Amino acid sequence: MMKKLLLNASFFAALFLAGCDGTTDPVLPPTSDFTLTFKSLYDGQPLEKYKNYDYATYKVQFSRFNTFLSDITLLKGNEEYKLSDIEWVDFTPDSAPNDLAVEVPVKFSGVPDGDYTGIRIGYGVSPDLNAKQPGDFSSTHPLSRENEYWLGWASYIFNKIEGKADLNNSGVFGTSLIYHCGSDEVYRTYTFNTPIRVEEGAAATVEFDLKKLFTINGAWFDMTIPENQFTSNDIGNVIVAAILMDNFDYATRVTQ
Amino acid sequence: MEKYMPGRTAKIWALALLLLTFIVLDACKKDDPPPNDEDADLVAIPYDPKPYAIPKPPKFPEMPVPADNPVTVDGIQLGRRLFYDPLLSADSTQSCASCHLPEGSFTDNKAVSTGIDGIAGRRSSMSLLNVGYVSRPLFWDGRSPSLEDQALRPVEDPIEMHNTWANVLDKLRKHPAYPAYFRKAFGITSRKQITKEMAAKAIAQFERILISSGKSKFDRYLNGDPDALDDEELDGKLMFFDEGGPVGLPDAQCFHCHGGITNTGFSFFNNGLDSVASLNDFKDKGRGEVTGNINDNGRFASPTLRNVAMTAPYMHDGRFQTLEEVLDHYSKNGKGVSNEDPVIRQLGFPIPGTNPVKYSGLTAYQKRAIVKFLHTLTDPDFINNPDIANPFK
Repeated sequence: MMKKLLLNASFFAALFLAGCDGTTDPVLPPTSDFTLTFKSLYDGQPLEKYKNYDYATYKVQFSRFNTFLSDITLLKGNEEYKLSDIEWVDFTPDSAPNDLAVEVPVKFSGVPDGDYTGIRIGYGVSPDLNAKQPGDFSSTHPLSRENEYWLGWASYIFNKIEGKADLNNSGVFGTSLIYHCGSDEVYRTYTFNTPIRVEEGAAATVEFDLKKLFTINGAWFDMTIPENQFTSNDIGNVIVAAILMDNFDYATRVTQ
Repeated sequence: MEKYMPGRTAKIWALALLLLTFIVLDACKKDDPPPNDEDADLVAIPYDPKPYAIPKPPKFPEMPVPADNPVTVDGIQLGRRLFYDPLLSADSTQSCASCHLPEGSFTDNKAVSTGIDGIAGRRSSMSLLNVGYVSRPLFWDGRSPSLEDQALRPVEDPIEMHNTWANVLDKLRKHPAYPAYFRKAFGITSRKQITKEMAAKAIAQFERILISSGKSKFDRYLNGDPDALDDEELDGKLMFFDEGGPVGLPDAQCFHCHGGITNTGFSFFNNGLDSVASLNDFKDKGRGEVTGNINDNGRFASPTLRNVAMTAPYMHDGRFQTLEEVLDHYSKNGKGVSNEDPVIRQLGFPIPGTNPVKYSGLTAYQKRAIVKFLHTLTDPDFINNPDIANPFK
């Protein structure tokens, strides 16, 4: 009890003395909470697990989509403000109601108010963080997720997109689609020049459209080719992973 | 220039004095011993909770621990006793350990477990090794969100312990030893304050120390001993973790559902066990029973493969007796059910000229190599750890 009493008295004295200081606090720029909401779409509509989507001349379904995003940074001319080193966004958690992919809002506190000219996003895990492994992080850190780490490649799995295709329109989705991208070689950074105003309660949206992701230079990514049905697990062969990671800027839309 | 205002200064001092008085009174109120309480029969027993540092084997992640149930030395001791004590069951014949025996890496090595009334359950008991790391909901169907919640359930399950918590609490409160253990673990002052939530918290604390020793052959390999695995085991490891391409080995796709260092899946999968006409036709709907989502029917949690050689039989219903049977299953195609996981397809290399592409399956050597690798996950130090053994023996 005495310890607590002394602590309280000290706090009170400090409060009193601070009030007598006579100096003025430096003027800090106003800051606000700012929310980025990540969404997953297919052809402009919210992604739905196990839904039959028209794709080229056949159909596809998706059952999993999650991704790491690194060094999310607001830009203002030559200035920049990093919102986050790393986020893990899971659009298809087991708890997703009615199989509808969830929106993932991430709130950042203390963001300097102002008119920003764009945002830069790293797709995957930046090389400095990718050099670490789950055991290096506290249990609440996004990179502590051991199931998102590939022991064989000593790399995080940057994103997982899984589903199936019905290549001959038989009604049977018998072809597995497994796209797990990873390794420093396929880490990508894209900048989106979109006006973003930060003020109290401000928010912006980052959308990933899987139809666009699998549309490469205006053409469908051909899933009838066996080598295109999965990302190779040979670390010397990241062709498919690179194609997808190269296309994430086209598949991404940032709005406010 | 600011004016000197003597009246204002006096008011501030008066206010400050008043505030200080409140602080002093508040401090007295919270820290003084409770008033005389004839039910305070445990206050003479010291309550001095000591935090327990959960061991962290090399390369393992930090274990998440809920803020409202910190792990303490006395909490573990209480939880360990409760875990092994048949007192929890209606006829005092079954404990948690009846279905989770250390020698079976905390399974009972039966296809399905049987409760006190001799009624067989539907599912196999799951290994509790590294259960504290599991971030998905617990049980095969994920019906429990946490260890604290999970520990509450078997007591009142009619085909497990078939008891009531009211009855258990009555036994615990009248017990010659347990009230003191609860006092030491949770600081209660009276045996009447024992609750089922405290019992569950203590069991959860004990379960959080069921951790790999970090001394399995696989761990030794991961931690820098290249000779810990022989060539065949290494081939198995390469196929398990889908990294054998450069040396001409096919992917076995195991790590997608059993990834990470604890080899635990953190999700629910339809792993292609059953052929059904529609998703409504699964005999055991698994995850779908909990969520009501038809696409979750037939999906089950993927368990840890640590110590898997000790946990036969396999699958949620124990249908496979050996790891060889498990490999035979995964080497083939699934059953073509719509919600089968995409990784469930015939293993091996693509057969040229097939469209849709077909795969070769695994060779006998490849299956054997994977089974040999699975044996490298065996951790005798874990099951022989005296700190997690039955305290009543």
